[in-house]
Amino acid sequence: MTSPSASSRKTLSKIATNRLQKELMEWQVNPPTGFKHKVTDNLQRWVIEVNGAPGTLYANETFQLQVDFPEHYPMEAPQVIFIPPAPLHPHIYSNGHICLDILYDSWSPAMTVSSVCISILSMLSSSSTKQRPNDDERYVKNCRNGRSPKETRWWFHDDKV
Amino acid sequence: MAKGVSSSAVQAEQLKQDGNLYFKKNRLAAAIDAYTEAITLCPNVPVYWTNRALCHRKRNDWTRVEEDCLKAIQLDHKSVKGHYMLGLALLQREEYSEGIKALERALDHGRGANPNSYMVEEIWQELARAKYQEWERDSTKRSWELQKLQESCEIALREKHLEENETDSTSEQLAHLKLVFAKAAEADIPKEVPDYLCCKITLDIFRDPVITPSGLTYERAVILDHLEKVGKFDPITREALFPSQLIPNMAIKEAVGAFLEKHGWAYNMD
Repeated sequence: MTSPSASSRKTLSKIATNRLQKELMEWQVNPPTGFKHKVTDNLQRWVIEVNGAPGTLYANETFQLQVDFPEHYPMEAPQVIFIPPAPLHPHIYSNGHICLDILYDSWSPAMTVSSVCISILSMLSSSSTKQRPNDDERYVKNCRNGRSPKETRWWFHDDKV
Repeated sequence: MAKGVSSSAVQAEQLKQDGNLYFKKNRLAAAIDAYTEAITLCPNVPVYWTNRALCHRKRNDWTRVEEDCLKAIQLDHKSVKGHYMLGLALLQREEYSEGIKALERALDHGRGANPNSYMVEEIWQELARAKYQEWERDSTKRSWELQKLQESCEIALREKHLEENETDSTSEQLAHLKLVFAKAAEADIPKEVPDYLCCKITLDIFRDPVITPSGLTYERAVILDHLEKVGKFDPITREALFPSQLIPNMAIKEAVGAFLEKHGWAYNMD
């Protein structure tokens, strides 16, 4: 379920490698609050620990994000999913896929892993109910062959969580 | 007469085609012969000279590379390949500053002709490497000289105070001296390049910065790539943006130049 699609497994381009090294250095000096990068020697897949923000529905809960970078990052968005168990949230499917526009159609190469993490945390923090999306069962069933969320034709829910 | 001229031009062009074909098959001697014949027929076509230079380059025959490139530049002072390979040849015989100048001219003309071409990237890589090596040589020398000077100053200071018998101020002045020398060595110590000299997409120091109507500056090749592949919008403000709206940011380019002049380590590409 957490294996990325074949297309994102191509080795990183020179530009992508260079940029990720810079991002990693910046992260080490100045990590976003509530996140911890688990150190590996794999630049192409980052595993990041997320702590639910205090005072929100997810306070004291810890989740793991898996970020896979495509060959032409940052011209293409990274694939970002929660490693199950994923937080109970109206925009997060039980297989870890996240319905968030900036990860797909609204990606911009000026965004970074750090800014994506902050968006995800803010999505969690603004939630007022702990529940799965209505179509969770159907969606997860459709993804059983290991489909990447980047291949999903997302129909974005509204902003009010 | 006119007919004669045009037929030799046609013949030379055919010979160039042959040469290109040989070159692709890595038959360098045959390619050189073909280009030489083309040059004999039409000595005023710069491409024949640069193509032959490319063959010499592959054979590591740098003296001939230099000769052919000089001829090509004489015919066309904007010849990107001419300046580029001349620069490489000069670096080969350790004419560093002249070699760097030639690469810089190649880069300027290359960007003018086609800012997004593979040639521009290749020239930049070579130039950056040469600049970085130049910095390594110069900074090693500087640091060695500073160290010797510092030692002499320390000895002189100690001797002076020994004569005057003021041990208290000695250690104080020695500490100050140490600070002064540390300050003098600062520019050569690699640190982070300031954010305002780095592209928000590459996170790397600017090479060819362009500014958008939103007032944001990006690396030219990368923002063009974004506009083509991701969408016609400014990556940060998301306002509509078209390639024709990009304008070179001369102020940032000069600032980058000044920074690199002082901190050659920033040419390190790894």
